[in-house]
Amino acid sequence: MEPTLVLALLEPFNGYIYPNEYFLQWELLIVLYPYLTGLVAGAFILASLERVFHVKALLPVYRLALLSALAFLIAAPLPLMAHLGHPERALEMLVTPHTASAMAMFGFVYAWYLLVVLLLEIWFDYRADIVNLSNSKTGLMKYVYKILTLGATDLSPEALQFDEKAGRLITIIGIPSAFMLHGYVGFIFGSIKANPWWSSVLMPIVFLFSAIVSGMAAVLLIYMVASWARWKPIDMACVNKLAEFLLYAMLVDFTLEILDFIHRLYESEESIHILSQLISDRLFISLIISQVLIGGLLPLFGILVGRYGKFPDEMRKMFYFLVGILIQVGIFSMRWNVVIGGQMFSKSLRGLTTYKVHLMGIEGLLVSIGFLILPLAVLFVLLRLLPPWLNEKSEEKAIPVA
Amino acid sequence: MSKGKVPHQLMVLSVIAVAVIAGFFVMRAYLTPKSFGKYGHYRADAIDDVRNLPVSYAGVNVCASCHEEVFQKKAKGFHRGVTCEVCHGPAAAHAEDNSIKPEAPRQRGGCPLCHNYNPARPTGFPQIITAEHNPGKPCMTCHNPHDPVPPTTPEDCGVCHRSIAAQKLVSKHSSVECTTCHQVPKQHFVNPRLNRVGKPTNNEACGNCHGSDVKTQPQVPKVETAKHAGRYLCWECHYPHSPENTP
Repeated sequence: MEPTLVLALLEPFNGYIYPNEYFLQWELLIVLYPYLTGLVAGAFILASLERVFHVKALLPVYRLALLSALAFLIAAPLPLMAHLGHPERALEMLVTPHTASAMAMFGFVYAWYLLVVLLLEIWFDYRADIVNLSNSKTGLMKYVYKILTLGATDLSPEALQFDEKAGRLITIIGIPSAFMLHGYVGFIFGSIKANPWWSSVLMPIVFLFSAIVSGMAAVLLIYMVASWARWKPIDMACVNKLAEFLLYAMLVDFTLEILDFIHRLYESEESIHILSQLISDRLFISLIISQVLIGGLLPLFGILVGRYGKFPDEMRKMFYFLVGILIQVGIFSMRWNVVIGGQMFSKSLRGLTTYKVHLMGIEGLLVSIGFLILPLAVLFVLLRLLPPWLNEKSEEKAIPVA
Repeated sequence: MSKGKVPHQLMVLSVIAVAVIAGFFVMRAYLTPKSFGKYGHYRADAIDDVRNLPVSYAGVNVCASCHEEVFQKKAKGFHRGVTCEVCHGPAAAHAEDNSIKPEAPRQRGGCPLCHNYNPARPTGFPQIITAEHNPGKPCMTCHNPHDPVPPTTPEDCGVCHRSIAAQKLVSKHSSVECTTCHQVPKQHFVNPRLNRVGKPTNNEACGNCHGSDVKTQPQVPKVETAKHAGRYLCWECHYPHSPENTP
């Protein structure tokens, strides 16, 4: 065979693809975005379990979950803006919004969620602490806390009661808002009718439940790491409860994804052949191995054994920690498979292309790792500013040491 | 806080909320371009901005008004759909001032933009592998871009049907000649669009080698064509140029 022809055949696509399908338009940064917003929605739903549904065992992670949601929310739109290349243009959709554009409307959902739900809830929850800190701190931090009080320094029982009521009301509003926030991300993909891998009514719901799973697991991990870093014991009742909710959420999420899969198989539209090739060839590692086995079934099995097996607490913690990490791998893979997978087959349904992650460049691996570390850095600052464990000391004092 | 009084927090937040919303509308009034929404959901002045951009392209009619002979020649050739400025670049300045010469891609860079092998190009579109097709020689040595005809009549089908040839070459049908299945009129090599090749119309074409009653090499798969396919044609399931990639 002619050597150049061999090279031509080894090009990174097979079958027939249109010329504008060689290169993927949405790369790693767009994978990061649904992953990060998912963590926001999940962490917030977890916080609401304590606040609205009175799951008292989750009290130790309530504030941590809220702050995590805020940290991830602040970082979530940054990959999108970096991908745009012209970050200032993101504001244009707020200035001249078009009601027929889901992306433009999302700007308002995001603003609502950030300003009305998360910031307000955190403010009401922390107000008494902020007022106390503004009195006890000295130097620059005193003024920082004074600004954070917004001038509302009333600590009378009625005022505190109002804080409590207002916080609860906001959480109730916040639950549908969190559903909208992440349901929207699935909506964007699910409503692209030209793409059979994306176009599915189930997409927003699948995204939402996977968000809840990843957010809960992220808060579990953050709580464990924070406790270890502070040399404090991990509240086993809390992590056990968290593991139970995580298990339920994973079961629902896994069932929904299987349902989506079976539905596609049963429907067997004309795209089914190329999609099965996509799964068995291009996405085999990231979907079958990474999403379903390592990030789906293994943690599901791990959490079942870890929660209901007869183990000492130390062993249980290790189970939970590993499960938390595996879930992150699985949910990240799910985002990857949706975003990247949807662009790897030709709209002619006759060919597949490939995607290789670059190390450098704005869409590269290093920048993406930076965007993954950034929310953790934001969270670190938030934890220093508004420590979630302020109430812990008084509780510890109240409990006599055996 | 006395009963019945509006909580202080609520007052503070209301003031901030009013300030944020008012700030948003002020920002919006300030940032929205004045002509926005005049015709539709865009800045109407953008039309004038675009209109005021310098004109770069002269257009094919302007070219033809001076270069009538070349234009007539090209209009009859395979490049009739390719306008002058596709290869020669924007020529408005040249139309205004004859001393400014438009570019002419006399080296090998220009033609492969369209004629380099790419499986996404339609079959029958002449494609070459640049590195192997007379390397180093400018295309114009053999081909006149205004009337591109191959200097010699192609003998190999893969010259134009490169994608199919490439697929077939690595398939189990690699040793099967194109003419085994296709009836190729001689004139097809000279004027392909007016002299189409014949394609098989019934299952006998495949049955000639794959029929159970045919004596071909034992490794060739055999089926009872009538029973196996039923009312379907073989190539509705098996892609003949790459038979192993189909069920």
